[in-house]
Amino acid sequence: MGKLHLGDLLALMLATAALCLFPAPVSAANGAREDLMVMENAPGKAGGRLVVALHSEPKTLNPVLAIDDPSRDVIRCLSGDLIHINRETLKTGPALAKSWNVSPDGRTYTLHLRQGLRFSDGEAFSADDVVFTFQVYLDEKVHSPQRDLLVIGGKPIEVKRVDSSTVQFSLARPYAAAERIFDGIAILPRHLLEKSYRAGQFSQAWNLSTPPNQFAGLGPFRLKEYTAGQRIVLEKNPYYWKQDGAGVRLPYFNELVFLFVASEDAQVIRFEGGDTDILSRFSAENFSVLEKQQAARNYHVDDLGAGLEYSFLFFNMNDLGAKALPEIAKKQAWFRDLRFRQAVSAAIDRAGIVRLVYSGRATPLWGQVTPGNKLWVDAVLPHPARSLDRARQLLQSSGFSWRPDGTLVDPRGNDVEFSILTSASNSQRTKMATIIQDDLSQLGMKVQIVSLEFRAMVDRLLNTYDYEAAIMGLASGDADPTAEMNVWVSSGETHLWNLEGKPATPWESEMDRLMEQQLTTLDYSKRKQLYDRVQEIVADDLPVICLVSPDILVGARNRIGNFRPAILDPYALWNVEELYAR
Amino acid sequence: MVNYRRKLVVCAVLLAGFHMAVLFAGFFAPYGYAAQDRELPFTPPTRPHFIDSQGRFHIRPFVYGWQSDTAVSGAIHEDFTCRYPVRFFVQGASYKIAGIFVSRVHLFGVDDPGRISLLGTDGFGRDQFSRFLYGGQVSLLAGLIAAALSVTLGVFIGAIAGFYGGWIDEALMRSGELFLALPWLYLLFAVRAAMPLHISQSQVFMLLVSVMGLIGWARPARLVRGIALSAKERYFVVAARGFGASDAYLLRRHVLPQASGVALTQITLLIPQYVLAEVTLTFLGLGVSEPMPSWGSLLSSLQQYYVLSTYWWMFLPAALLIPLFLTYYLAADALQEHWKPVSL
Amino acid sequence: MNARFLIRRFAHAALLLAAISLFSFALVQSAPGDFFDQMRMNPRVSAQTVEGLRAEYGLDRSFAVRYGMWLRSAVRGEFGISLAYNTPVGPLLIPRAQNTLLLTATATFIAWILAIPIGVWSATNRKKLSRKNSELATSTLLTIPDLLLFLCVLLFAVRSGWFPSGGMYSVDSESHGLLRVKDTAWHLVLPSLALALATLPALIRHVRSAMIEVLDSPFIRAARSHGIPNTRLLFRFALPVAANPLISLFGFSVATMLSSSLLLEVILSWPGLGPLLVEATLNKDVYVVIGTVMLSAAFLIVGNLVADMLLFAADPRIRVE
Repeated sequence: MGKLHLGDLLALMLATAALCLFPAPVSAANGAREDLMVMENAPGKAGGRLVVALHSEPKTLNPVLAIDDPSRDVIRCLSGDLIHINRETLKTGPALAKSWNVSPDGRTYTLHLRQGLRFSDGEAFSADDVVFTFQVYLDEKVHSPQRDLLVIGGKPIEVKRVDSSTVQFSLARPYAAAERIFDGIAILPRHLLEKSYRAGQFSQAWNLSTPPNQFAGLGPFRLKEYTAGQRIVLEKNPYYWKQDGAGVRLPYFNELVFLFVASEDAQVIRFEGGDTDILSRFSAENFSVLEKQQAARNYHVDDLGAGLEYSFLFFNMNDLGAKALPEIAKKQAWFRDLRFRQAVSAAIDRAGIVRLVYSGRATPLWGQVTPGNKLWVDAVLPHPARSLDRARQLLQSSGFSWRPDGTLVDPRGNDVEFSILTSASNSQRTKMATIIQDDLSQLGMKVQIVSLEFRAMVDRLLNTYDYEAAIMGLASGDADPTAEMNVWVSSGETHLWNLEGKPATPWESEMDRLMEQQLTTLDYSKRKQLYDRVQEIVADDLPVICLVSPDILVGARNRIGNFRPAILDPYALWNVEELYAR
Repeated sequence: MVNYRRKLVVCAVLLAGFHMAVLFAGFFAPYGYAAQDRELPFTPPTRPHFIDSQGRFHIRPFVYGWQSDTAVSGAIHEDFTCRYPVRFFVQGASYKIAGIFVSRVHLFGVDDPGRISLLGTDGFGRDQFSRFLYGGQVSLLAGLIAAALSVTLGVFIGAIAGFYGGWIDEALMRSGELFLALPWLYLLFAVRAAMPLHISQSQVFMLLVSVMGLIGWARPARLVRGIALSAKERYFVVAARGFGASDAYLLRRHVLPQASGVALTQITLLIPQYVLAEVTLTFLGLGVSEPMPSWGSLLSSLQQYYVLSTYWWMFLPAALLIPLFLTYYLAADALQEHWKPVSL
Repeated sequence: MNARFLIRRFAHAALLLAAISLFSFALVQSAPGDFFDQMRMNPRVSAQTVEGLRAEYGLDRSFAVRYGMWLRSAVRGEFGISLAYNTPVGPLLIPRAQNTLLLTATATFIAWILAIPIGVWSATNRKKLSRKNSELATSTLLTIPDLLLFLCVLLFAVRSGWFPSGGMYSVDSESHGLLRVKDTAWHLVLPSLALALATLPALIRHVRSAMIEVLDSPFIRAARSHGIPNTRLLFRFALPVAANPLISLFGFSVATMLSSSLLLEVILSWPGLGPLLVEATLNKDVYVVIGTVMLSAAFLIVGNLVADMLLFAADPRIRVE
């Protein structure tokens, strides 16, 4: 290998610059040059078909109204957003907006859109589509579940068209996670949807009986065919605005097929048999089954570690004055006692839960942020080991005592007995409840497990407050703390243990203050300090007793290249445009 | 034919034996139904041996301990260094007979830390054999209650419908069709959700089972209606009516005894069906709650593919139920032959 | 006579369906909570939005008002709107009902084709040992829970690889016409066999007991004593009389077939009413549940009606009444 001459270097630089400045010409809209985004993935081969199983049919293809997972999985492949959260780094990055400026007061964002792009039906994309999109999302009569994400400081964001490729967003106050609100807001084609929106029929638009030629989006795929009850077939979007380093327009796959396979077991079986190429959202036991056949059947299953979901046990600390539930009100004396909660937390065998309920594929938790959330987890939070002795000491110091037969009695002489509510349809939480029941029986507490249908449980938790303790799980929609405002702020609607709307304890007031502050703090390290303190409060004062977080498990055939699954939804398909068949 | 009588006796003896074992579950089961062993989930059935690894014969059977397999993660195999002889009439965990008498004697067991699990263990390390026996208490009782309720209500309604005929008959049979067609699942959900927290779980379960039983009157009613229809025309009934017998007397004295044969057969047929219905209830999460076992909860874990394909011994309780149900069906057959009206 | 009979039956059927709709409505309402409770537990959606959605679908109105709205929509052919799919229930159910019908009809056909010969043979050879064995076999099959049976079928499909393990079409079937029919038929084999197997034992028992009852009746004994050979006895004398209970049995078997097919469709991913109903039940998508219940009730009623008409045609004794 000879020495590299300066001339060669210069030529190389010129050639690279040339390649960057002049991408392979594709027909651009309005004669303008297409502003494609260059992805840094390993280059792949075009062609082929990808088959994925969904556990149920999508209910609608209308991005504004879809709330269930299968619908959102399909819609994500059909649509594009302005600013996108990279699932691997959990940070925001440019998407349809190639750059943006923030005003000094942090309240105005000016987004510069890519030019010359087209929708999947060939029509031009411009700022008018963006303005229309936000108009629909923010319309109260449309009732979009995502509308609340766009309401900052009590007021919806204001959208203004500056020119055909620039849009300005104004917020009522500075917002730390402002960029993140754009992720998942699918840009709608004004030319197809404006009519039904003006006619007030938007909720019927883009349902499953709409013919494919009435759809258009800015995603890597577009709708080809839908067969009721069986599958939905997407085809490559020829106008997609991303290309790889070699100038090949993405996506690589020609077709993406979603099969509806109703039970998880059937999904596992069909994946094993080769019917489907990618599997996600399956249980730990099926992981062990699939692990055994990996080499033989040419696929691999990966354990990505803890995701963002966390399950927790909490007690009814609502003010029951008006509700006439005397039995429960009596027991609240125990539930409100911090040392009682600490004793319960000390007695729970989290390692046992990880081993028995999740076959080892879960992480024990002492706070609500899981280790999978690398940006926000408080690494120095203590993780006290399980200790029945410490639990007994805590109970004793709070005035509890034991009868000769081992039953725990409170300072007033009542037996300690309570029930834990779980959802009948969630077998893992029911198993957790069984383990906790056994653990607490070793402290002399008599625990009953009440297994209710999910909606009946929600009714008791949110309306009638007729419960003593309950086990719930929350799957955070985003790594950022703002996604959980409603849980940790006293006025929040999912502040489950105390839904009165006001803080009942000093630490709740402190949490309120901290959460409000981190909403408007724009500097990441300062926000992290604030949220670390919130995590400490949760771990010390135990409004909820965090249990475990299940690992994210995915599987894919060996022939799928660029498979880089992440812990934030959609785990396996977030980079679907980069996947290819080897 | 006298064949059926022998069949009936054999079935009755088998059923009685099985029910005894379930009633005295505490004695026949080596462990309590909630005794978890978190180190040993999903172990295969322990085999009693008579000949040890050195080839020596022992009169008293023994079992080996378990050791984790270093090669394959999660697998275990017998540990030949730990031998636990099986003892009979041992002292173990205490239990209550019929909720009153406390005892600590178990038919067989091994010394700690050995475990003898004849049907293997479940995901929490609980002995399946013990859970099968205790589970029978709940499931059999549930089946009996539901079947009895169904048939009682069915006999009552069917007799009235068949005896009176006309619009009463029409109305009752149409509402029977209605009952068969409706989504009773929601009623069960609603009943379950409406129960306050302080009723014990087994009571809630019995309530649900009763509701199920009360819903199932339509089929027995149809059969009894047929009998009442034909009995109504019999000469001795007509004669009794001619003598001035009231409707109630006729029903009580002439129609219902005819129906008793059918009723008994129906109960025997319905018990297994209601036990299977209990599996469905548990499948949907409405069954008796942990840690109390029922056959429903033992069978419901088999719904999962990974259990079917990896932990084959979880299938054994289901396999044991099949001969039990068979015995019930054979008994029902024999009863049917016994009560078949003699053709002239 | 015939016309009057039919009119009466149709009137009964309509009344029954109306009653079923009212009761289903009431039952579904009785369980607490509604479709939007899932959204309420999502920290990123405000209670206001949920209330707005509830109001839009009329879930906050009284029972009578909602039933009235549903009746009006039923007359229009829509039968309410699915809260999950945002489309009318009627068009949602039709393609799936067709698939369920395909599966159930095939399975019924197979089950009856097998049940009648086996039941008859079992009834005529009462003393032989082979019959005792077959009786044992059917009773054993009878006691295996449907769920277990279907899971084993799935396991078999995967392990052996001889049959497709689910769905109605292969993934890459773009074909139409004959190829598609062949593909569907191939996917139909295992599910219909499984369903037939699930309902076969009960059917065999009933056929057998119906046949035994007929074979024990006086006129058969008289015919036998006349020296008429057994085969002629069977086909010319016994079967026509046994047709009566068997035809009524047909009506019942439709009902059991439908409820077993629900479970099968979920496990083998057959795109029928089953998976739809299970999901709608768990999500409390009320109008879909009621629509499906009405549909299956309608199947039942039509099945019974057809059986009654067949009976009318086949059995002269009924015509005399």
